[in-house]
Amino acid sequence: MLLRLELRDFRCFPFLRVEITPGAQFFVGPNAQGKTSILEAACVLLRLASPRAGSTLAPLVRWNAPSGGFALAGSYGGRELRFLYSPERKKLELDAVEQSRANEYLRLARLVYLGNSDLELVRGSGETRRRFLDFLGAQIEPLYRVNLRAYERALRSRNRLLKTAPDRRREIAAYDVPLVEAGTLLTSLRRSLVAELTPWAVGAQTAISAGDDPTLGLRYESGIRGDNNGGAEDFTAALHASRAEETRLRQTLVGPHRDDLCLTLADRAAAEFASEGQQRTVALALKLAQASLLEAVWKTPPLLLFDDIFGELDPARRNALLAALPAGAQQLITTTHLDWLDAPPAGPVWELTDESRLRLRFSGG
Amino acid sequence: MQRIDYPEPLQRLVFQLKRLPGIGPRSAERIALWLVGSAHATPGRNGQTAGARGRDLATAITETAEAVHPCPQCGFFTTAPLCAICEDDSRAGGPLCVVEQPTDILPLERTGVFRGRYHALGGRLAPLDHVSPEDLNIDGLLDRVRAGHAAEVILALGADVEGEATAQYLAGLLREFPHVRVTRIAQGLPAGGGLEAADELTLSRALTGRVRLT
Ligand SMILES: [Zn+2]
Repeated sequence: MLLRLELRDFRCFPFLRVEITPGAQFFVGPNAQGKTSILEAACVLLRLASPRAGSTLAPLVRWNAPSGGFALAGSYGGRELRFLYSPERKKLELDAVEQSRANEYLRLARLVYLGNSDLELVRGSGETRRRFLDFLGAQIEPLYRVNLRAYERALRSRNRLLKTAPDRRREIAAYDVPLVEAGTLLTSLRRSLVAELTPWAVGAQTAISAGDDPTLGLRYESGIRGDNNGGAEDFTAALHASRAEETRLRQTLVGPHRDDLCLTLADRAAAEFASEGQQRTVALALKLAQASLLEAVWKTPPLLLFDDIFGELDPARRNALLAALPAGAQQLITTTHLDWLDAPPAGPVWELTDESRLRLRFSGG
Repeated sequence: MQRIDYPEPLQRLVFQLKRLPGIGPRSAERIALWLVGSAHATPGRNGQTAGARGRDLATAITETAEAVHPCPQCGFFTTAPLCAICEDDSRAGGPLCVVEQPTDILPLERTGVFRGRYHALGGRLAPLDHVSPEDLNIDGLLDRVRAGHAAEVILALGADVEGEATAQYLAGLLREFPHVRVTRIAQGLPAGGGLEAADELTLSRALTGRVRLT
């Protein structure tokens, strides 16, 4: 649990200290940038990466910061975390002890960030959904991460050869075995990940839509053409069958890099047939399913960060979403206002002023 | 005003030392000063005068550079026309063990299990690092197999993607020689490690490479 968050020279804040409570808390105010930066700070402190800027942290330093860098600190699970960033150097501390490696530091906290870009999970390309699965898989299964890296290396090597030396068939074929070995394992890991994710996602979608939306379906679609769950044999056969075409197009055409996670409402593609509200609900359901799966594996709920997503839902779904959030999880929620609430807020409400200060509006239920 | 620095030869020495693996600028300077015996360094034992340490090292380096060269047959280090392993007639009928680097030979040799000869490729296939078959000593390997002394070629390459691809590539070329058995060293569990400590990838490879007991 995150119990305190301190920002120095981060985005628009010279200094900000937030006392965070268990359960939900709300950050309201018109200043979207500032509210989002508080969630971003929690993300950077705990994961060393920003949901907006990735691992490129230079833009996060406040303009005119005297030290040229920013500092973040907080208390998570009884441990004191501190992260100092400057263009010259990054410094990590756990309980005031400097860490030369990030491993132990990063093992402490898990979080799920929910933002409006999640809509891409429904509307975007298969790559967005593959990245979603891989990010989750790598967090819950070390083998997933190792194997994904092996697959990507084999694929990139093979594609490099197809691009630069398509006539060197023997060299290209040498990569078939490592590609099939890692690819078959990746296929089965993704297949079981989707199976585990499905009941959670369906449950969350039903709760947020109050049962109004058609039933959500998740279907794993293998990028191995003619995949009959035969694993290596199917993949090898598909590679052979695509040989002429891959030589012409100069890239590997079959394999889990062509996988997709098909999302349907009553068996119709959600990207084409669902309304915007239904699509946003599906995206939220996937992220909440991710949180549930992480909680099941780690035995402790991840920190949930909701970045301005409530305003995009109709009031009924907003209230249903709030009611459906896992009770044990800590939630940091930004929104322009809370006039839509059916019941008093379940936690403290902070208002962000124009001077980038926080004022307590409501101390919680 | 003239900027004072160490004399030219000493600067060149520091520059050369800095190029050594694992040596940073500070270490390079410390080692250089120790070699020439500066005021900070303690005089050498056995009555050596300042600078003698450097001369001994220089001699060793010059002698090594002049005398040691890769064995033209297998790539291992030698001072003779052929290395001690290639000269050893008792190994003539044994299998041929293919490794990536000449430095891989001694660890295998120290096991005392292997009684054949070696062949160092000088690397492995890695299109992402611009290493292709022409960059490796593959022709030499095929010549040796063609000469026909070895009944078995053992591929002792890395367990990563590139090692696997290199093994597949060589296995393809060696199919031309149906009388030669091509094998790969088994990949399994580290000694002293229980099953619960091994990851699934290692376990599945160990299962694939299992050995018959009865
Ligand atoms: Zn030799």
